[in-house]
Amino acid sequence: MRRLPAIDGEWIDRNKAIEFSFEGRRIDARQGDTITSALAANGIGTVGRSFKYHRRRGVLSCADHDVNAMMQVSITGRSLPNVRADVTEVGSGWRVTAVNTSGGLARDRLAVLNRLSRFLPVGFYYKAFHGKKLFPRWEKMFRALTGLGVVDLQASRRSTPKRYEFCDVLVIGAGPSGLAAARAAAESGASVLMVDENRQPGGSGHYSRAGTAESAAATTALVAVARAHPRVRLLTDACAVGYYADHWVPVATPTEIVKVRARATVLAQGAYEQPAVFRGNDLPGVMLASGAQRLLYRYAVAPAQRVAVLAANAEGYAAALDGLACGIKIVALLDLRAEPGARSRSYGAELRKRGIPVICNVTPVEATAGTGGTLQRFAFTSESGPHTLEIDGLWMSVGFAPASAFLHQAGGSVRYEPTLEQFVPDVLPPGVFACGKIVGAYTFNERIESGRYAGHEAAAHVGFGPRFERPRFTVSSECPSHAYPIFRHPQGKEFVDFDEDLQIRDVENACLEGFDSSELLKRFSTMGMGPSQGKHSNLNALRILARLRGETLSQHALTTARPMYHPVLMSHLAGRGFVPERRTPVDHEHEKIGAIWMPAGNWRRPEYYARAGLTREEAIAEEVRAVRHGVGLIDVGTLGKVEAHGPRAGEFLDRVYTGRFSNLNVGMTRYGLMLDESGVVIDDGVIARLGAETFYFTTTTGNSATLFREFGRLATWWGIPVGLVNLTGQFAAFNLAGPHARTVLGALTDIDLSNESFPYLAVREGHVAGASCRLMRVGFVGELGYEIHAPAEVAVDLWRALQRAGASHGIRAFGVEAQRLLRLEKGHLIVGQDTDGVTNALELDAPWAIKMDKPFFIGQRSLAALGRQPRRQQLVGFRLPAETAVRLRESHLVIHRDAIAGRVTSVANSPTLGHVIGLALVDPAVVETGALSIRIEHEVQISAEIATVPFYDPDGARQRVEAGP
Amino acid sequence: MSSPPSEAILARRSSLDAWYEAYGHGASLREDMWQAVTLNERVPRGRFISLVDCSWRRRFGVKGPNAEAWLATHDFAIPSPANSWRVTDGVMVGRLASSEFLIECLDGQPARVTAAATQLAARPSGVFAVMRQDLVVQLSGEALSQLLRQICSVDFATLRAGPSAANGPLVLTSMMGVGVVAVPMARDADPALTLWIEPSFAHYFWTTLIIVAAELGGGVRLDQPIRV
Repeated sequence: MRRLPAIDGEWIDRNKAIEFSFEGRRIDARQGDTITSALAANGIGTVGRSFKYHRRRGVLSCADHDVNAMMQVSITGRSLPNVRADVTEVGSGWRVTAVNTSGGLARDRLAVLNRLSRFLPVGFYYKAFHGKKLFPRWEKMFRALTGLGVVDLQASRRSTPKRYEFCDVLVIGAGPSGLAAARAAAESGASVLMVDENRQPGGSGHYSRAGTAESAAATTALVAVARAHPRVRLLTDACAVGYYADHWVPVATPTEIVKVRARATVLAQGAYEQPAVFRGNDLPGVMLASGAQRLLYRYAVAPAQRVAVLAANAEGYAAALDGLACGIKIVALLDLRAEPGARSRSYGAELRKRGIPVICNVTPVEATAGTGGTLQRFAFTSESGPHTLEIDGLWMSVGFAPASAFLHQAGGSVRYEPTLEQFVPDVLPPGVFACGKIVGAYTFNERIESGRYAGHEAAAHVGFGPRFERPRFTVSSECPSHAYPIFRHPQGKEFVDFDEDLQIRDVENACLEGFDSSELLKRFSTMGMGPSQGKHSNLNALRILARLRGETLSQHALTTARPMYHPVLMSHLAGRGFVPERRTPVDHEHEKIGAIWMPAGNWRRPEYYARAGLTREEAIAEEVRAVRHGVGLIDVGTLGKVEAHGPRAGEFLDRVYTGRFSNLNVGMTRYGLMLDESGVVIDDGVIARLGAETFYFTTTTGNSATLFREFGRLATWWGIPVGLVNLTGQFAAFNLAGPHARTVLGALTDIDLSNESFPYLAVREGHVAGASCRLMRVGFVGELGYEIHAPAEVAVDLWRALQRAGASHGIRAFGVEAQRLLRLEKGHLIVGQDTDGVTNALELDAPWAIKMDKPFFIGQRSLAALGRQPRRQQLVGFRLPAETAVRLRESHLVIHRDAIAGRVTSVANSPTLGHVIGLALVDPAVVETGALSIRIEHEVQISAEIATVPFYDPDGARQRVEAGP
Repeated sequence: MSSPPSEAILARRSSLDAWYEAYGHGASLREDMWQAVTLNERVPRGRFISLVDCSWRRRFGVKGPNAEAWLATHDFAIPSPANSWRVTDGVMVGRLASSEFLIECLDGQPARVTAAATQLAARPSGVFAVMRQDLVVQLSGEALSQLLRQICSVDFATLRAGPSAANGPLVLTSMMGVGVVAVPMARDADPALTLWIEPSFAHYFWTTLIIVAAELGGGVRLDQPIRV
C-alpha cells in the first residue's frame, strides 16, 4: 500500500473501508477515494490504454483533465461507460474495468498497434480508406477497433430533473481567487453562487503547499468565510460546462443539470497544467506535478517511491517540497531553464539544504519503462552531459494553459502575453470578469488580490458597491510557463495529445500537408477533439505549429471549445421531458365510452370508439352509418378558435384568407383558405360573422397556436388595429351531424332551427341545455350538422345532455377516422393530408374559394404568377371496386409512363358507397387518361378510375336538408 | 334566450373534473367544492407543496383600446403599470398588457364581476370580452422555491409579495412548456404563487406538477385559498 499517514485536509475517511474490483482484482479503498486514488494507493501504475496505439497509461492529472483513466463500471446491474476515474468517488462492490482494451488491461491484444504506428500517420484514414468498394470493410473494422466504453442497451430510462438557479454574481471556480471574488461580491451586497467541479472547495490552495501549511490554512479560512456568508451559496461537485448568452451557464452535478442565470460572472477556473513533450512522456509514472500533489494531499497516497521533478517554474519546486513533506524520496529537481526565477531560487535553496540536487538547463531525452511497463529510467542531458535516473516517478511542472474556454464562449478575446508565456484576457465581455491564473496571477497573494478585484467589479456591474480602480498584475516572481517544453526524439513517441495518441511528427506532417493553422490542424489531426477537449494538448500543439511556421504565438489563436466543454451524461442533457398534452373538456367522457386515442398536434383525440365484438374498421363503419342514417356527435374542441374585433376586422381577414369576408353578412359563415407568400396552402377554416365588427373563426387543430401568433404579427405588420382573442382552449366544440341532428338539438334549445331561420352556413348565438353557445350550420361530413361551441366549464354536462337527447335516435359518438371517411365521401380535403408543403391553391381546383379580384391577400401575387404556368399537380378523386383484394394506402405512388406522377393522399373503403374511394395529387397529364395506375406493395400496380368529387350527395342536398326527414 | 325547462342549468366544472373523479373527491366544481383535502396525510411539514384549485372563482377578461375606460366606469380599480395586479373590495384586476385585463372575484361574492361580464355580451365599442375558463392554481409550501426552480426560468424570489399585499407584479411566462399568468403572493409570511393556465393544459399541468412536487421528497397537500 502507498497510503500515507493522515494528512491535514485529506478527503478520505480512514475509518470506512470500501472494497471493489478492478480488472477482476480486489481493491481496498477508503470512503472518499476516487477510483484512481484507490488504484494508486494499491500500487497499480497502469490504469488504462490509449485510444489509438493501446499504450499503457497511468495517472496524469488526477483531475479529469486527461482521459488516461476512463472506466466501465458495473453497479448493481447497471453498466456505465466512460466513467472518469480521476474524479469519481468509488463505491463498495463496484466492478471496474478499463475501457478500450481487447483481452484486458494487462494483456491488451491491440497493443500490437503500438508497433504499427509508423503505418498509421496523421490523417491516414483520409487517404487510405475512401474507396467505395472497400469502404464497408474498413468501416466495419474501425467500428470494431475504436470506441471507448460500451453502452448498456438494457439500461432503464431515468428521468433526470433540471433546475434553475439565480444569482447576482456567479463565480466559477472555488480556488483561492474564486473564494476571494465571492467574498468581495457578497460583501458588496450581491447574492453569489459559487460552483466548483471538485468535491471540496479550495482548489490548488489546498494541495500546492510548497511543503508548508500556510496556503492550505489560508484557503481553509477563505472557505469558512464563504460558507458562513449569508449571501454566498456554494455548489461543489458542480462543473460549469458551457457559457451561453446573458450569463446563462449550465452546471452539471452528479444528479442533474443546474441552469444558472446570473447577472454577472467571474471566471476563476484556474489553469490546466501542461505536460512536457518528450519521448515516453506518456509512460505510467510520468505525471503532472499537480496530479501528484492532488494524490498526496487529497487522498494521502504516495504516487511513487523515487521521484524526479521536471520543472520550468516555481510550482515545480513547490511540488518537490510537497513530496519531501510527505516523505517521498525526491532524487533531483531538473529545471529546463538555465536561470530559475526568484521564487524558484528561494525554493531551490530549501531543496539543496535538504540534500536534493537542483540541475538547470536540462534537456529531456526519453523516459523508458521496466518489465512491468511503467517508468523505470529517465534520460536527460544538462551542461554536465548525459544522465540517467532510476526512478518510478517523474513529476512535470513546465507550464499552464489558462481555463479560458468560457471567455471565448462569452464572446471575449485573449492575447498572448510573452512575459507569462500564456494567453490572458484581452477583451472581457460586459458582465464577465476573470481572476486568478486565467489573468496570470499565480502566487497565493496575487490570486487573492485578483479575486477581490473581480468580485468587486462584478458586484458593481450589477449595482452593488463602487467600482475598483483596475489593479496591475505583475509577475512579481517569475514566468509560470516554459516557452517551448517540447523535445523532439529521432524515434518519436513524444506525445502531444494523449487522447488521440498524436506525436510531434503528426503536427509536423499536418503542417507540411498544408493544414498549418490551428483550425485546420485540429480538424486534420483530431488534435484536441478527444474526450479531454485539448485541455493538455492544444497549447503545446500551437507552440509546435508557431515554431514550424517561424512565428510567435501572438500570431496564432486557440480554437474555441464550444459547449459542452466537459462531457455531460446524456441522461442529464435529456433531463426531464416536459411535453405538454392538451385535452378537451370532455376527454374523460370519451374515455368512458372506449375511446382509442390518437395524437393530433399536441392534443389527444379519439380515433374511434372500441365496441365489443367489432374490429377497428367495423367500429368506424358503424360510426359512419350512424351519421349517414341517424345522428352522430364528434368532439371538435381541438380546432383553433379565434375572435377578431374592430371596424377593420373584415379587412384583416380579407388579407389573411383567399376569400372575401368584409362583405359577409352578420349571422353567416364562409369557408376560408390560408396561403403562404408562395401560394402554398397552409390552413383552412370557417369564418363566422357575429356582429358588424366581430368575427369568430376556426383554424386546423395542429396549426392553432402557430397561427394565432402569426395573426398578431400580421396585424402589427400591416398596421391594422384588430383585436384578436384566442379562445381555443376556452371553448368546447361538438359537431352534431346526421339526418336527426335537428330533432336532437331542438329538444335542448329554443333557437329556431328551421331551414328558413337557420339556413345552411348560418351562425347563431343562444342557449343549448342552459349553456350559452354559438352554433354554426356546417357540412364537413356531408349531412345536416350543427357545430356547437360552448364554454369549457359546461362542456361535460352539455355533452351528456346531447347524448341523452339523442339516445332515442341511436346517437353515436364518432371519432377522427369516421370523420375523415365521411368528409372523403364528400371530397372535402384536409390541409396537411391532401396537400403538402408545395401544394398551391390552384392545384386544389377550388376557384370559388379564391377571390383574385381582391386588392390583396397573402399568396395572391404568387398565385397570379402560377396561374400563367402549366399546373404541376392536381387533386383528383378516384374509385375502385370494394372487392379490390389489395389494401391501398395513403402515399402509394401514382405511376405514369414508368415515372412517378403523384401519390394517393386519402383512401378508404366507403361503407356508404360500397366501394373504395380516394383522393390523389397527380400530374395533370394523368387526369386526361381517365385512370390512375397506383403502385402498391410488392411491385404490384392497380388501376383506379378517376371519379368526380363529391362521391356522395354531389349536390349537397343532404347538408342543406333540401331532402331529409 | 332561455333553455327548455326539461334541462337543468348546467354545472360549472373544473378542467380537473376527471382528476377529481378519479381520486374520489367529487365530480363537480361548485363553489362549495373547494374544501381542504389532504392528498397525503403523512407529508412531513418540512418540504411539502400546498395546492389549491381556485378555478371555481368567477372571472372574465377584457381587452381593446377602450377596455381600461370601460372597467373604470364599472368601478374596478385598475393597476397602472402593465404586468401588475391590484385587489380592491375582493376583486383582483390583473393588467396583462397595456390594454388587456383579467378580473377575478376573490371573496365569494361574485355579483359585481358577473354583472360586468354579462354587459360585455352587448359588445361595447373598443372593448372585447376574453373568455377565461382557466385552471387557477395557488402554490405555496416549504418546497415552493425548489419546485419553481424545476418548472420555470423566472426568479420569483425577486418578486416576492408581502403577507398582506393588495398589489404587486404579474408575470406572463412559461412553466413546464405551458404559458401561464403568474402572480406572486404570500400565504401568511411565506411566498406563494397564483397561476392561471389555459384549461386544455389543466390535466397535464396539474399531474406533472404533482409528480415534480412529489420528487422533491415531501408531498402535496390540497389547501385553502390564500386570503388577500
